[in-house]
Amino acid sequence: MSAANGIMVSAVGLTKHYPAARGERDAIHDVSLAIPAGQLWVVSGPSGSGKTTLLGLLGGMIAPTRGEVCLNGRSITHLRDHHRSLVRRTLVGMAFQEFALVMGMTLIENILLPLTPQGGATPPDIARAGQLLRRFGMEDLAGSRVERLSGGERQRGAIVRALILDPPLLMLDEPTAFLDTNNVHRIMELLFALRDEGRTILVATHDARLLDHGQVDGALRLVDGTLETDQ
Amino acid sequence: MRTQLALILFALGSARRRAGRTLSILMALALVTFAFSSVLFLTEALRREYRMASEALPDLTVQRLVAGRPALIEAGLAESLRQIPGVIAVEPRVWGYFFVPNLAGNFTVMGVDTAQADLTNSPWAGAVDGRLPKTGSRDEVVMGKSLARFLGLELGDAVILPVGPHRIQMDLVGTFKSEVALWSADVIVLSLTNARTFLQVPVGQVTDIAVRLSTPDEAVVAARKIAELIPDARVIDRQLMGRTYDLTFDTRGGVMGAMLMPALIAFLVLAWDRLSGVGPAEWREIGVLKAIGWRTSDVIAARLWEGVLVGFCGAVLGIFAAYLFVFYARAPGLSSVLLGWSSIYPSLDLVPAVTLSQVVVLICLVVLPFVAAGTVPAWRTAMRDPHQLLRGAS
Repeated sequence: MSAANGIMVSAVGLTKHYPAARGERDAIHDVSLAIPAGQLWVVSGPSGSGKTTLLGLLGGMIAPTRGEVCLNGRSITHLRDHHRSLVRRTLVGMAFQEFALVMGMTLIENILLPLTPQGGATPPDIARAGQLLRRFGMEDLAGSRVERLSGGERQRGAIVRALILDPPLLMLDEPTAFLDTNNVHRIMELLFALRDEGRTILVATHDARLLDHGQVDGALRLVDGTLETDQ
Repeated sequence: MRTQLALILFALGSARRRAGRTLSILMALALVTFAFSSVLFLTEALRREYRMASEALPDLTVQRLVAGRPALIEAGLAESLRQIPGVIAVEPRVWGYFFVPNLAGNFTVMGVDTAQADLTNSPWAGAVDGRLPKTGSRDEVVMGKSLARFLGLELGDAVILPVGPHRIQMDLVGTFKSEVALWSADVIVLSLTNARTFLQVPVGQVTDIAVRLSTPDEAVVAARKIAELIPDARVIDRQLMGRTYDLTFDTRGGVMGAMLMPALIAFLVLAWDRLSGVGPAEWREIGVLKAIGWRTSDVIAARLWEGVLVGFCGAVLGIFAAYLFVFYARAPGLSSVLLGWSSIYPSLDLVPAVTLSQVVVLICLVVLPFVAAGTVPAWRTAMRDPHQLLRGAS
């Protein structure tokens, strides 16, 4: 899980400008950052400050208007859609604020979904999914349809899916939004454990319980799309 | 290969998840395919019937026209025709129609010269179950299978027909096979003498004269010579008649096809609307797939497989239903449109005559637009950023 020059995620002059129809503004303006590999960083900021957009830009889900993003030492800014998809599959595991699980499918089907373009789940993949579900306390819910799961269960399911391809970079958008205090602590412990295994983790949140946690390696604060660094 | 298999399994799952939509699309597709297949099956079966029957037709048929309508012709003209170079056989024929009021329909009565002709060598011989009337026989009859069935007759049964002021009894010795049902279903073959009496054709006159040529491809030349010899004659060329029938079936089938086009267009509009992938749920689903690393091509392939699976099942269902409709139920409603006979026709047993390539073309014609209707919008959607799709931006 090591990265070139020890930096897993870097951005220089990153800007995302939305067209006039959505309001003439920069959702992200001139953001530069560097996140070392194997660390857990938190991006905070008020609602609408651009946290999700920043994660999207860094995770190869949004093409920037200006600036450059490098993952694992390689620029993804000018990649074509096809290669950006490969970056998302091989480098980045992402869990979204709105979970982004496919309704009508079971939890295990959702978790194994990223494997479909590479030929579907093999027995080792299924075993790995089982291990991850156990680790997140969800082994009994594997066969449950997503719509029958609680918000917290869906949140943890989304994280498990983000981990199924064992990516070196994990990006989580508001991972504690639907969790009670006990589950927040549990998720935090899991995240730190994943970090300790060498994974780079970037979390967008405004949850003070995460922000104030002593084990966080670095914090970024966004206000109106502009970065205020507090490392 | 493994990837495609995985995508097919995903596509099957998608179809299952959207069972209501899948079922409605499948049924609509089956209905459209059924309509087109029925026309195709019936047209091809009729065309085949004609081709088989036309093998027994003479190269040229000479009729005399009076006031623009066919009239009896002198049998003695046959000798003149025999002298024309290229003519190898001439046969004066006696035939006509017999109207049955109870059925409100015509049957075709044909006379054969059982005293002279060797019917075992007749082109009809191979098309008969049982046999043709024996040489010299006056009291034997052959009829179309449908007519025999309609009259409740089987081989060996007695047939009583009104011949002039009398009613004569004949034995049913043969029925025409169903393979040539289009032409033989309503035919009754009698001895020449009985046919003359039955149809009131005087001795020395015939209905028409059948001419066989050594080189059928030169029928036009022979026809011109016959017309010069008999100025009031109408000469019917078998090849020309074949082309006319082909054109007729093509036209009728085409007209039916054109009438079905609005249904196909309506279906495609429905398919486009239902499969366009612009619904919020599908928009989001494509966003999820892209976000977790699916390439645009993977999304398209999954949608393509879903379209192919649903489309193929619908098309096969429609074709199967059309097969049963045409060849077992005898295409009620549709057959009368395509046959277009002025008289009521005895039940027609059609034999399947569609080739595999035609079925494949039919499936492609229906399935490909359907698949495109589902895949193109998915492709357009999948080209967007996953973030945009997940957030529901348009």
